Amino acid sequence: MRVNHILSFFLAPCRRRIISEARNQSPSIFDHPRFPPLKRRMATATYPPPPPYYRLYKDYSENPSSAPEPPPPIEGTYVCFGGNYTTEDVLPSLEEQGVPQLYPKDSNVDYKKELRSLNRELQLHILELADVLVGRPSQYAKRIGDISSIFKNLHHLLNSLRPHQARATLIHIMELQIQQRKQAVEDIKRRREEAQRLLKDAFVTLDGQ
Amino acid sequence: MDIISQLQEQVNSIAATTFNVFGTLQRDAPPVQLSLNYPDPPPSAPTTDEPKQLSADLVKAAKQFDALVAALPLSDGGEEAQLKRIAQLQMENHVIGQELHKQ
Repeated sequence: MRVNHILSFFLAPCRRRIISEARNQSPSIFDHPRFPPLKRRMATATYPPPPPYYRLYKDYSENPSSAPEPPPPIEGTYVCFGGNYTTEDVLPSLEEQGVPQLYPKDSNVDYKKELRSLNRELQLHILELADVLVGRPSQYAKRIGDISSIFKNLHHLLNSLRPHQARATLIHIMELQIQQRKQAVEDIKRRREEAQRLLKDAFVTLDGQ
Repeated sequence: MDIISQLQEQVNSIAATTFNVFGTLQRDAPPVQLSLNYPDPPPSAPTTDEPKQLSADLVKAAKQFDALVAALPLSDGGEEAQLKRIAQLQMENHVIGQELHKQ
């Protein structure tokens, strides 16, 4: 809404000037912009001032410990712009979101099989919805609820694969790092042997002279 | 893009294709006779091929989802096996780090 206001404020005087020039009339009172002039309007939209406790850091360059420490990191839940956030990154289970869980709740669930069977269920439900729309159009709501819960299950399954992916990435990175370190060890050994050989050769040449 | 994000995108595109299919069907459906009192509806407007194409798209998207699922590099290890491997790699890393330090 504010953007519209500002845009129309900018466009309106140009439009009126063009119209009055086109009609070859002298500028009239209609050429005054409808909104207050730019300077007064922008005074309400300046940046906020810096927080007042900047004065406590006056002697920071001489004595770093005279100023207060930064606040400790927040733990638990906190409120930001009216929304509640938690600091723990945990995927909420489906029951907490009020969605029925369609795949067996086991600690080791076979992701591929479940994803495939959920996909087939989804297709069947879509066909069922098409049939319902043809035959009994008033009963669509339940079918749509079923389809949306299948989608939520699908996304939940995929999201629960993310920790696995993170661990796999970690393993991969560590293997790479071990390989690089082995390579570095080999390189250092080789270089040191070569340096010793060069020194020995130099001694031999010096002695031979 | 990694495979899990691809799978998620595929799920979303299946959803989008689904509601496009139903929207097209509802928008382009020819009129139908509801009651026997009224005469037959006039012959339908020229039927386009679009619903067929959209439903073919839907089936293709579902098949691609299956293909992506098959391509998941999911080892049967489970969480404990992965954690054990991580601990093993950490020890090996430590040993090699010390040797590097000596060198």
